[in-house]
Amino acid sequence: MKKYWIALPLALSFVASAQNMTVEFWHTFGDAKRGDWIQARADDYNKAHPGMTVVAVYKGISNETLQATVLAARQGKAPALVQVDGTSSQLALDSGIFQPVSGIKDVDFRDYIKPVVSYYTIGGKVNSLPFNSSSPVLYFNKDLMTKAGLDPKKPPTTFDAILKTCATFDAAKLGMKCIALTPFSWLFEQWMSEQNAQLLNNGNGRQARATASNVDSDAGRKIFGFYKDLNDKGYLTNTGKLADTVGTNAIFGNQKALMTINSTAGLGNLLDAAKQNGFKLGVGVLPIPDGSERNGVVIGGASLWVAKSAPKPEAETALDFALFMTNTENMASWHKLTGYYPVRTSSVNLLRKQGWFSSNPLQIVAFNQLLKTKPNIANAGALTGANIEMRTIIEQNIQKVLSGQGVSEVAKTTNEQINAALLEYNKNFK
Amino acid sequence: MSIVRPRLNPKPSQVDQEARDQAPKAVQDHATFQGRWLPWLLLLPTLLILGVFSYYPAIKTLRLSVFRSNIIVGNEQFVGFENFLTLLSSPIYHQVILQTLVFVGLVVVLGLLFSIGLAWLASKPIPGAKLYRLLLIYPYALSPAIAGTLWLFLFNPEIGAVNSFLGALFGIKPRWLDQPFLAFALVVTATVWKGLGYNIVFYLAAIQNIPLEVMEAAEIDGATPWQRFWKVVLPLLSPMTFFLIFTNIVAALFDSFGLVNILTRGGPVYGEAGITTFLVYQLYEDGFRNFKTGAAATQAVLMLALVVCLIVLQFRYGNRRVHYGA
Repeated sequence: MKKYWIALPLALSFVASAQNMTVEFWHTFGDAKRGDWIQARADDYNKAHPGMTVVAVYKGISNETLQATVLAARQGKAPALVQVDGTSSQLALDSGIFQPVSGIKDVDFRDYIKPVVSYYTIGGKVNSLPFNSSSPVLYFNKDLMTKAGLDPKKPPTTFDAILKTCATFDAAKLGMKCIALTPFSWLFEQWMSEQNAQLLNNGNGRQARATASNVDSDAGRKIFGFYKDLNDKGYLTNTGKLADTVGTNAIFGNQKALMTINSTAGLGNLLDAAKQNGFKLGVGVLPIPDGSERNGVVIGGASLWVAKSAPKPEAETALDFALFMTNTENMASWHKLTGYYPVRTSSVNLLRKQGWFSSNPLQIVAFNQLLKTKPNIANAGALTGANIEMRTIIEQNIQKVLSGQGVSEVAKTTNEQINAALLEYNKNFK
Repeated sequence: MSIVRPRLNPKPSQVDQEARDQAPKAVQDHATFQGRWLPWLLLLPTLLILGVFSYYPAIKTLRLSVFRSNIIVGNEQFVGFENFLTLLSSPIYHQVILQTLVFVGLVVVLGLLFSIGLAWLASKPIPGAKLYRLLLIYPYALSPAIAGTLWLFLFNPEIGAVNSFLGALFGIKPRWLDQPFLAFALVVTATVWKGLGYNIVFYLAAIQNIPLEVMEAAEIDGATPWQRFWKVVLPLLSPMTFFLIFTNIVAALFDSFGLVNILTRGGPVYGEAGITTFLVYQLYEDGFRNFKTGAAATQAVLMLALVVCLIVLQFRYGNRRVHYGA
């Protein structure tokens, strides 16, 4: 009996401290659609868990959020949960301020779609929890296809087929370009993966720090060559700004181009644009370079990281909230809202049961593309802390091809520039 | 910006006279401050703010410029002057410096010419003058991000308003954002346009302060409007021009960032680098996109040196040509 008297205040104080637990979640979605969805999930969670408060804060674009997190961590004030772009995975690892989620508590990752988990598994550990994931697909204007005498049921699936489609389309003289395509490194990376070519050495930077790029290869030259062919034949258009997918989407949405290639996450907006401009939108698999089997797409997007400095109960709450936000129902609703993949098999099954795919057949294309991806090193994606610089280098060099420079010369320069960037980054660790 | 104060007073000689009259009194007034510490105490808030937000970061930057550092990794490796040598021997950086100089030159000259002309016209007593002035000033109220987005939509080569217009009228659709020289001209134009409001406000104020007698005297002497503008108005505006040249140089060097970031992202590639990659954009790319924090600090130091040189030049040679008297 006596013992209870000691235990009671202890228990009370524990409850009191639990009631005060606040977990900050820093994310990168400033737009109302996605930001509000996250806020609603935090509200749901807080309602279901009295005494715990998840505070979702928009901290700017990915780079700004990561930098803010690192600076906060150095002052001992890191948020417990942070959304980090896949591009910055290596940087997040090298910052040393995060802990692998698989070390916090046992998470059953079997429900997650394999390529997605494989993208975030580094050194055998699942470092972060997949959240918003997407891959590129071909968007096309069905009405324009029909008008040009093309079959909208058979969109092109290879580079050659795109060129042929464009030749037919061009001959129909409808007064617009065939494809809106911006110099975009993310697509370059996808096309390397589809050819089972690693972008970087040392197992795409996953076995050891990458020291050299593989861009100056047949696989790389094929991609530069594709841009060149499209451009030389006058099939291609874009705004001229690098990686300006907003611009190419606008061109495509305004029916100034027959096709565009962009993320599945853009589906919602493009459907709106199609409705507004009165055309039927078609979605096809990502067209790939000829002469190789589809090796699958690299998953793009971001994941949720837990700070190392978070005390155990807070880290657990952070992970618990992350798991709640990405649970079966929530991922299904996230997918419906944005076009990002529901990263769980159970969510896919739920959507199927709800008849989502039969009423929205466009969505299934992207899915199959991802489900058919068998994880290997090439489609696990490249890891390096110089990733963002590498992207700029690739995009600038695609632009050089578009302004008339030769493919092999450009591939060589790209390779040299990436290697220099890798060397420079790796010097940080000597 | 407190370094150079434009003097709007039409009769500086009078002011000087008053100042001279007051001078002995000021010496007596010295006793107002009890002790040596009171002035410092009163200065303390300013010094604190300057110290925390200007001097301390500047010293940190100076220190960081001799380290290899990545703010995310959190490393600091002393490399001496390697960062400086790498930068100053890099053909990319050479091109960026050259581009920046051409850009700043064009923005300042075109910007001041246009704004002096527009301010002169807007100062005329015509119906609706107030409305014109408002419209002329308003671009300055837009944030660079919004201005950039606006221009981006206007100059979208396929669906932008400008090319729809040009296409319908002349059957041409210029590639504004990936033809290097067009893109450069576009950024210059956008920056000039963005700065017009600021310059016009100052010029309008200065024009309104030009004494009427002087203008009348010129008129009586038979000067044409053209002559009156060039021989009377322009010299009287020279203190203002002197002030604006300096603020415009600084604005073109530093504030061009927002517009460039949205409109061109430093592109399109020409030679070694993007043709609209100016010093401050290069610094942003290296510091905040690629996280080469040490190299970015080095660039900040070089830019500081550049600004210091400009200030010295301005004070040494600028003052000689400025006409303060009426």
